[in-house]
Amino acid sequence: MYTKILVAFDGSEGSRKALKRAVKVAYCFEAELHSVSVEVDLPKYVATVGEFEDVKRQKDAYFERLNHEAIELARAEGVKLTPHVLAGHAVDSIVELCKEGGFDLLVVGFTGHSRIYERIWGGTSRNLARFSPCAVLIEK
Amino acid sequence: MDHTWYVAMVWIGLALVASIISIRTAISVALVEIIVGVIGGNYLGLDPKVEWISFLAGFGAILLTFLAGAEIEPQILRKYGKESIGIGFFSFLLPFLGAMAYVYYVAHWTADAAKICGIALSTTSVAVVYAVMVETGLNRTELGKIILAACFVTDLGTVLALGILFANYNVWLAIFAAITTAVLFITPRFARWFFEAFKNHVSEPEIKLLFFILFGLGWLATHANSEAVLPAYLLGIVVAGLFQKHREMVRHLRTATFALLTPFYFLKAGTIVSIPAIWSGLGLILVLLAVKVAAKFIGVYPLTSIFRFSRKIGMYTTLLMSTGLTFGSISALFGYSRGMITQEQYTILVTVVIGSAVIPTLIAQWFFVPKQQDLKGDWQK
Repeated sequence: MYTKILVAFDGSEGSRKALKRAVKVAYCFEAELHSVSVEVDLPKYVATVGEFEDVKRQKDAYFERLNHEAIELARAEGVKLTPHVLAGHAVDSIVELCKEGGFDLLVVGFTGHSRIYERIWGGTSRNLARFSPCAVLIEK
Repeated sequence: MDHTWYVAMVWIGLALVASIISIRTAISVALVEIIVGVIGGNYLGLDPKVEWISFLAGFGAILLTFLAGAEIEPQILRKYGKESIGIGFFSFLLPFLGAMAYVYYVAHWTADAAKICGIALSTTSVAVVYAVMVETGLNRTELGKIILAACFVTDLGTVLALGILFANYNVWLAIFAAITTAVLFITPRFARWFFEAFKNHVSEPEIKLLFFILFGLGWLATHANSEAVLPAYLLGIVVAGLFQKHREMVRHLRTATFALLTPFYFLKAGTIVSIPAIWSGLGLILVLLAVKVAAKFIGVYPLTSIFRFSRKIGMYTTLLMSTGLTFGSISALFGYSRGMITQEQYTILVTVVIGSAVIPTLIAQWFFVPKQQDLKGDWQK
């Protein structure tokens, strides 16, 4: 049923549950599994390129460690995971990747890092369910 | 002496608060420091005229400019010279003339104040543009590299104007020009040898060498009534290629700059802003913002058509070229420090500069971000 699955993974508790679910679903359907992490808090209106690049380098290193963990978790279940790291707005970037990559299932956690933020602004998972071009599985 | 320590504690305390706010809000520490400086100057009695603070702030501005020049990738300027020089030159010239003419003929500013306004509003922020483009992946595309190269050319125009328009045309200027030219020619080769010979030492001799050259050129610039940021930017450009091979040293330099020096610069820049002057000058602020953006459109958009950018990409390029932050604030502070502009005029210029960092960026991101399919294949129509 599903041939190409994308899971949103930012290291939060919710995204870890989503990753485990995505690995199981990919195993069942023998689907390709990809993960996407979005660097959302890159500094705006910077004075020098270096200031921006220093922060980006820290985030790149953080997501590299995270993705290494995710790849090992998937490998332990017999699934190959291909990670992607993007910069920008979380919902826009993930939706755009879904479209470009031709994914037929997006797996996301119900909450990300900030529960208060998500309760006030409506939730990344809710917006992804709304704007994603493919089916969305929200893991609680 | 204990008063000096007290003043230092207050300023660094504010810089610390700004740093934390910057991390939490993902807004540049420079912008937050300016805003904290505004609060400090208007409500906490911060005095920007303390001599040692002025020195640290001035040094911070010089290093900021030097680092900005060193961020250029020379091979990009060589590869995209025609488009970037064309777009960059008119991106500088039209807003410079437009803003200067408006404040001189309509707002009745003095000739020197009008020149400062023209220079401050002619800038384009390479860093703001770069940050926007990384989020869309455009920094890796040919279009992105052309835009960034054009931004450097615009800033070069700004820095040259700042260094040349107000200089005393006497023997000191000739000496300054001659020595600067010689230093710019010798430094890349000498520094290449020096950095290899003395690298990886805790006393950071490479950084001390750069400071020595910058202080020397700054002293000469001051004697010629020019501006120290001009040789600093040019020095940054000539060592840019070398810096790509010494990233760790550059990181140390940036750490020292952002930890200790630029906070004094941006806080000072903010303390001089008068909140009552923002309200009383709001009309002129909005008009000057419109003049800057309109002039950038007149200067840049037709060129994007000539170089066969699509309409959407032309609009995106023009809006990004309308941003400004670092050089705009440096120009305004230069004018205020020399008594060419009043505090009210300085307030108006800095507010417009900050507005130009935010508003065109938002419009570009909301309405004109090129999609990946717009950039594939022949993005030139």
